[in-house]
Amino acid sequence: MSTFLASGPNLGRGGIGAWLAGLSARGKALVLAAEVVVMLVLWQLVVGVLGWINPVFFPPPSAIWQGFLELWSSGVLATNALVSLQAWLTGFAIAVAIGIPLGLLMGTSLPVDRVVGPIAWTIYATPTIAYQPLAKAWFGFGIGPVIFLVAISAVFPILLNVAAGMRTTNPSIIRAGTVFGASRFQLYRSVYLPSTVPFLFAGLRQAVVLATIGMVVAELTGSAQGMGAVIIRAANTYQTDQAFAAIALVVVWSVGMTQVVTLVERWVAPWTRKARR
Amino acid sequence: MTTTIEPAEDEASVSSLISVRDLTVSYDVARTGKKLVAIEGVDLDVREGEFVTVLGPSGCGKTTFMNVIAGLVKPTSGQVLVAGEPVTGPGPDRAVVFQDYALLPWRTVFDNVKFGLEMQKALKGSGWRDRVQEAIELVGLSGFEHSYPRELSGGMQQRVGLARAIVAEPRILLMDEPLGAVDALTREVMRAEIEKLIAATGKTVLFITHSIEEAILLGDRIVVFKSHPGAIKEVIETGLARPRSERSIQSDPRFLELRDHLWDALQGEATAAAVSK
Repeated sequence: MSTFLASGPNLGRGGIGAWLAGLSARGKALVLAAEVVVMLVLWQLVVGVLGWINPVFFPPPSAIWQGFLELWSSGVLATNALVSLQAWLTGFAIAVAIGIPLGLLMGTSLPVDRVVGPIAWTIYATPTIAYQPLAKAWFGFGIGPVIFLVAISAVFPILLNVAAGMRTTNPSIIRAGTVFGASRFQLYRSVYLPSTVPFLFAGLRQAVVLATIGMVVAELTGSAQGMGAVIIRAANTYQTDQAFAAIALVVVWSVGMTQVVTLVERWVAPWTRKARR
Repeated sequence: MTTTIEPAEDEASVSSLISVRDLTVSYDVARTGKKLVAIEGVDLDVREGEFVTVLGPSGCGKTTFMNVIAGLVKPTSGQVLVAGEPVTGPGPDRAVVFQDYALLPWRTVFDNVKFGLEMQKALKGSGWRDRVQEAIELVGLSGFEHSYPRELSGGMQQRVGLARAIVAEPRILLMDEPLGAVDALTREVMRAEIEKLIAATGKTVLFITHSIEEAILLGDRIVVFKSHPGAIKEVIETGLARPRSERSIQSDPRFLELRDHLWDALQGEATAAAVSK
């Protein structure tokens, strides 16, 4: 999560900006932890202690924790989280399996790009929820429509980023490859593919977030199981603490998976790490 | 190492390594359907072991000229012979050092230098590791083998570019404003190092520059280009002793004479270029 605190253009070089930019990785984590604690305490104060907001609509952290424990001890959480996890992972795997090869093909061949590109952008621009009724008609009421929505939400950021990465390969590096006698295949493997890697991971990070949205949307409407079903059921019975607990878990999953993608990127593509001088 | 370079009398000797005959390159300009003549009627002979600097204002076609010799651009008419053979594409007898370094950001210094051998499929046997290491030592980058380009200064990155060019032991080194993007102090240091390196390896060099001092300090001969269309304006023997450490040469009457002469020649060109824009 330290990326949230990474130094930007640092316009003006203010005191606190400079201080934040100079922090070590551990220091950044501490600042973030402090931020979370302060927010939770304020939240607890405003809703739980001072009672400015009705806790039924906006439960305090302590109540959400209680809700989490109820969900956990009743076994509801484990059952539904597993269903969601299965749907998410399957859908995401399908998105990766389609997105990467098709993206590479689009980046390589202009005709493919011209044909697939507009279709991809059109589907990508359509709100996920619009596909929900269709998904149910096509895949029934089980895990099928959830997998479909996860996959269709995640595939386009991967596909379009990979294609863009291929196309924006630095022409001067391509020229260098040509001068040193690279064959077409060598250029592809040693120049185009590696330069696409950072784009792929940027696409994967977007895909994680969109896949999670797709999953919850699919489960919210007419699904008997999954985290989305837990959320809607709890909210409909005014157990907002449980609803919030379920939402929090989904958020933790989403943020956690983007971090996993970043870790994999650092391992696969160490050159993208910030220069340390 | 104090060898005096005698001015050569014979212009078109039989032993020339590079022969350029009536070379013209023109491009079709998109949309307008007009032809843009980049260079027209260029004749030049470069002897083996000669250091030729090509001097001219921006847009005079000197980079196009180099690209034809590198085999990246096909002549529209006329021809280029290297060691008597017409140039049909890039080859292992020629290597290029680029102004923007054109290093592969995902490769370490060692692997970037290796690239020069790899693309020519010259990695057979075990000797290549020593060759890569030797080239890295020759440009003074020992200890940085495992650094990524982004961790290096501009001057150091260009050293990598230089090592990548010489590792495959080409006969001809084509340098396209290699010090153009380097800061002034580093430029002076590297200019002296390039002179030393070339003297030690005996390579034939075509060095593109728009700096008058650089052209005099490095070249055995200076080829002055004019623009619109790009063509050779004149060819001058420098006739200065080597090595040309800058302090001693600044007061050399020959240096001053050359500088004044080139200054006048280029000023006319720059003005002409500005007016025609």
